[in-house]
Amino acid sequence: MTRSLPRRLLDEILSGSGIWPAVPAIVVLLVVAVIPFAILLSLGFSEITVARGVIVSQDFSLRYLTTALTDPLYHTTFQRSLTLALMTTFFCVLLGYPVAYLFLIGKPWVRRVILVLTIAPILTSGIVRTYAWIIILGGRGVVNSVLLDLGLISAPLRIINTQWAVVIGMVQVHLPVMILPLIAVMSRHDRRLDEASANLGASRLGTLWNVVLPLSIGGLGTGAALVFTLSYTTFVVPQLLGGGNYLNAATMIYEQVVYSLEWSKGAVTALILMSTCLIVLLIFAWLTNLGTRWTRVAQR
Amino acid sequence: MTTGFHRAELLDRLGIGVIVALAVIALALLLLPAAIVVIMSFDTRGYISFPPAGFTLDWYYKVFNQPVLVNAMLTSIKVGVYVTLLCIALGVPTALACVRGDFRGATALSVFVLVPHMVPGIVLGVAVLFAGALFGIGPSIWLQSISLATYVMAVMVRTVMARLQRLDPLLEQASANLGATRWQTFRTVTLPLLLPAILAGAVFTFIEGFDNLSVTIFTHGYRDRPLPVELLAIVQNTNSPLVAAVSSVQILLAMLALGVISLTIGLDRVNE
Amino acid sequence: MNVAADVIDMKTGAPRSAPVVDIRGAVKRFADLTVLDRCSLSAQEGEILTLLGPSGCGKTTLLRCIAGFLTPDAGEILIDGKDTVPVPVNRRSVGVVFQSYALFPHLTVARNVAYGLKMRGMPAAEIETRVTTALATVSLTGFEGRYPSQLSGGQQQRVAIARVLVLEPRVLLLDEPFNALDAKLRGSMQMELRQLIKRLGITAIFVTHDQEEALTMSDRIAVMRTGKVEQFGTPEEIFDRPANAYVADFVGASNFWDGYASGGRVVLPDGQTVATGLSGEVRVMIRPHNLALRPAGPQASSWTGTIRFRRHVGALMEYEIGLDGEHGLRALALRDGSTASLAAGDKVSLTLRDAAGCIVFPRS
Repeated sequence: MTRSLPRRLLDEILSGSGIWPAVPAIVVLLVVAVIPFAILLSLGFSEITVARGVIVSQDFSLRYLTTALTDPLYHTTFQRSLTLALMTTFFCVLLGYPVAYLFLIGKPWVRRVILVLTIAPILTSGIVRTYAWIIILGGRGVVNSVLLDLGLISAPLRIINTQWAVVIGMVQVHLPVMILPLIAVMSRHDRRLDEASANLGASRLGTLWNVVLPLSIGGLGTGAALVFTLSYTTFVVPQLLGGGNYLNAATMIYEQVVYSLEWSKGAVTALILMSTCLIVLLIFAWLTNLGTRWTRVAQR
Repeated sequence: MTTGFHRAELLDRLGIGVIVALAVIALALLLLPAAIVVIMSFDTRGYISFPPAGFTLDWYYKVFNQPVLVNAMLTSIKVGVYVTLLCIALGVPTALACVRGDFRGATALSVFVLVPHMVPGIVLGVAVLFAGALFGIGPSIWLQSISLATYVMAVMVRTVMARLQRLDPLLEQASANLGATRWQTFRTVTLPLLLPAILAGAVFTFIEGFDNLSVTIFTHGYRDRPLPVELLAIVQNTNSPLVAAVSSVQILLAMLALGVISLTIGLDRVNE
Repeated sequence: MNVAADVIDMKTGAPRSAPVVDIRGAVKRFADLTVLDRCSLSAQEGEILTLLGPSGCGKTTLLRCIAGFLTPDAGEILIDGKDTVPVPVNRRSVGVVFQSYALFPHLTVARNVAYGLKMRGMPAAEIETRVTTALATVSLTGFEGRYPSQLSGGQQQRVAIARVLVLEPRVLLLDEPFNALDAKLRGSMQMELRQLIKRLGITAIFVTHDQEEALTMSDRIAVMRTGKVEQFGTPEEIFDRPANAYVADFVGASNFWDGYASGGRVVLPDGQTVATGLSGEVRVMIRPHNLALRPAGPQASSWTGTIRFRRHVGALMEYEIGLDGEHGLRALALRDGSTASLAAGDKVSLTLRDAAGCIVFPRS
């Protein structure tokens, strides 16, 4: 029985044993991701002329790169971005880990509440969630109204458009991304290990520190890496809660590319953003590896 | 029982109490902002001030009678649909190849498709904008859709892969043994079993297409301004409950998505 | 079980010391389900006690109550005469060997064993000495630096045992410790473990659903059903003098023959009589090895049936014999000349070997 070519092709695709079914996706990823990244890289080392949204000429130049690396504005902006992202990561760990621990020890309904409260924000627009903080922290917002009504303050506090407003917003917006990988680890956690630990004399804190924490380093690393990447490269939160005077690297790219149309500068900033982000992520990965060395011992 | 015994026990309870308290604070922090946005959207006053002075649905009426907002919503829905369709068409076969593939580099492929989602969205947006400019392709709803599809395809691939990996290969072998052709097996066994995962993946990709700002802001068409771009502008420039009403509509959408996900793959499988 | 048995040794008549573990009327309910129903038993110093029963009989729940993972709703659990209920789980002198061992995967063998000592704040030097000794006791010297994932099932079990033994617990609890091992290893580990526990003189409580394991390991067995202790006694008592039909059926294979008792005896179809204090409808337990069969012939007894099928059981042959209008009986015979020719479909006659080996229960 000989089968027609299209038929054999279909079989090949359905069995999924060859690279075949992935080819369209690979082509799209090459054209829409890999090539653009290569171009972005080349633009970082170029002098370009843009006319009506089209790049008409591109010449090799290190001018923008060297300018950026020596520009004090760049230094302060990136320093600020880094501080902000690391602070956000720190607070997300501080608030996220307890949620994951509550998930571990909680009854089924507690687990369900945690899942809903964690996943719902991920499905909600970041702008909406940031906007909520304008309402809460604004001059006539929730916090000020409550404090005024209680007579604790006589004039509204200036909370919005400060660094703390940006940090609070960032932590809230990125907290779910910290919690989810931790929950994934916790739902696989073998509770008998905790019982064994208690049986051997450990208090609950002792078990948390000696058993639960070491076994969830992987989730902690994943969550921290995600939170760092997102908060290091977001411009929504600083833009809306920082009131325009709180520039981070991402808002800088936005202004250079969309407003002042300095594309070469924008390309350089994007490249610095990506490479510094990568360096921090590598440090995170190295730290996570240290904590999970036991998973890579030779299996028998 | 000695006093040392009691103190250690007390200290332990205190420590666990602090941790649980932190968790409750974190959970409240996750819930409160959305709740406040919804509450403020019913305020009768023309500016945001807490607590609300009355109850009205006027702002919702206004949202759906502002051509700019309605158009932006329609554009974003379109983008969401395009992104979802692209992700299904490209992502599901890729997941099949990644899990079932016995060719060299199957593992490398599964890593490769996940990379765009790990790159900051803003960097991908800028890169696509520049690459387009080099070849004379300007920002448009199409550029936006294909960039977003590239960005979030990883989510679809991962969700479907997770389901495929749990799928018992014996089911397909049983189907073949009972006389089904490959196509019949795919249509009657594999596809129905993958459907929940595809649906859940579709919810995520639709939401990303609808809500994404970091990639969108560099790639969207100037005439087809999508909702997030419009929203960013009005949040920055107006202080009326209108914004709260638009936001509440989005929160409602998120709740719907949550419902679909919990019915398809279940909430506890989301982080796979 | 009478109260005297608790205080006076049945064999020597000497008074026993106070029990190490004393469970008095323990009750545990989950929602509407009563998992433990007024359980009472006790373990003497150095005794190996087994909780035997099918899954869901409450044996694991009882073990978890003793360990402190669960709190009984009513009743008392005493260790050395002191109520354990107010003692938190991490302060009980009770070592648990878990079914899957629950070794900490992120800690080496040495650090697994050192864990409990570290929690007690012992100085590092002393910890090291004790860990070395404990690992030598279970012959795992040289494995200190390995991770649990690098050990075989048997080695993992020994680490789990060393991990609790190093703390010198008053009581050792073992939850189906041989489940994770393959059949061949199981037998040798059972012997080894019993010898080790006896050598160290620890009081141990086992949980198992495997009757052979229970008979091998224990000094005394508590047979449990739906939260109740059905019988508590030595392996011999349990096997030879089961307290009721349930125990007889659960421990060792049994046939049940329904008959009628009058005048202090039951007459079996082959004409033999079994003495009993009961009268009226009774159920007689006959172990398969207590039934002899031979081809139905001229000198056949009046108890006949047809072989439904036969099955090799090691050196023995087991026959299932169908009787008229009754469920079948099982007979176990040596594969010798007299029965070698018997096959399915053959008519056979049955005789009881030893009337004293039968037990008569009332029929309910």
